Amino acid sequence: MPDWRAIARKKLGPLGLEAKRQEEIVLELAGHLEDLYSDALRQGRSHAEALHSAFDAASDWNELRREIELAVNEEVAMNYRVKTLWLPGACTIALSGIVLRLLQIPSAPVPRVLWPWHSTELVIYCWWLLSLPVIGAIGAYWSRHAGGRFLERALAVSLPALGMVCLPLLMFPFVLVYDLIRFHSFPFVPMAILLFGWGVLPEAALLVGSLPFLRRDASTEHGQPVASH
Amino acid sequence: MKDHTINIGAQVKRGSAELAILSVLSDGPLHGYEISKRIERQSQGLLRFNLASLYPLLYRMEKRGWVSGNWEGPAGGRQRRYYRLGPAGKRRLVPLREEWGQLFQALHTLAGVTHA
Repeated sequence: MPDWRAIARKKLGPLGLEAKRQEEIVLELAGHLEDLYSDALRQGRSHAEALHSAFDAASDWNELRREIELAVNEEVAMNYRVKTLWLPGACTIALSGIVLRLLQIPSAPVPRVLWPWHSTELVIYCWWLLSLPVIGAIGAYWSRHAGGRFLERALAVSLPALGMVCLPLLMFPFVLVYDLIRFHSFPFVPMAILLFGWGVLPEAALLVGSLPFLRRDASTEHGQPVASH
Repeated sequence: MKDHTINIGAQVKRGSAELAILSVLSDGPLHGYEISKRIERQSQGLLRFNLASLYPLLYRMEKRGWVSGNWEGPAGGRQRRYYRLGPAGKRRLVPLREEWGQLFQALHTLAGVTHA
């Protein structure tokens, strides 16, 4: 019979809880694995098949550990959001803002691409856009390193672009009413161009850089069955 | 059969998982493994919990006071953590059943979806 308690303890790792509570959780999970294993043996499966059946119940121990921490410890839940979302997000916002500000210095040699189709002048800062994949990669890597799931990583990376589109979107109803009253029309095209230039393009650039870090980190997974001796 | 199995952790909203757990516990105290087996059996294999979908949810429900867990077992034998429905859980079960009943009714009206 495998030592399920040792297996569960090893695979779960430290939970950031007091020792007694952690041991209770380990014991409970070990009991569940043992029941799965014993049931499989009773059904006539081989030792290897029974082991596989037990380990199938928890293919991702990192995810299990994170979910338990979030469920049991409110402080952990709060720290988790700070570490995986707000700090990397603040970093991407700050870096994005600094680079954009540097490029706006009049003496800086900045090639700018103007929107050619409409009378609306949309300045596209090429060097800024080119820097965003690097910034996105930094944000996603930071979030993943802190244990962030896909959602936290993607949000941390997207915060600069979200911030840029949120302000226009918040103003949208007021601008709409004002323009309808004043001009009996609404500048949909300029608005769409602005959203594209300051929202869609930066978001795409950020996500391109973050792609390698949005995927699951295989090196930290511990979901494979282990020897049971 | 496998293609039609609903993975609770990933695809079904937390409310439905809470309803499933509260429902089986309304029949009496059970430990974690029994809860998962009971749900799987009563749903004819359609609903399945794994460790990651069951225990974090149980711990959350315990923190809310919906269920309470206690270690029980024969002296010198294996101890198991049995979960019981608490008063708050009983109160929560009633509206949950109504909400999901209404949802299925609405889906039935809308698209001919019936209860399993």
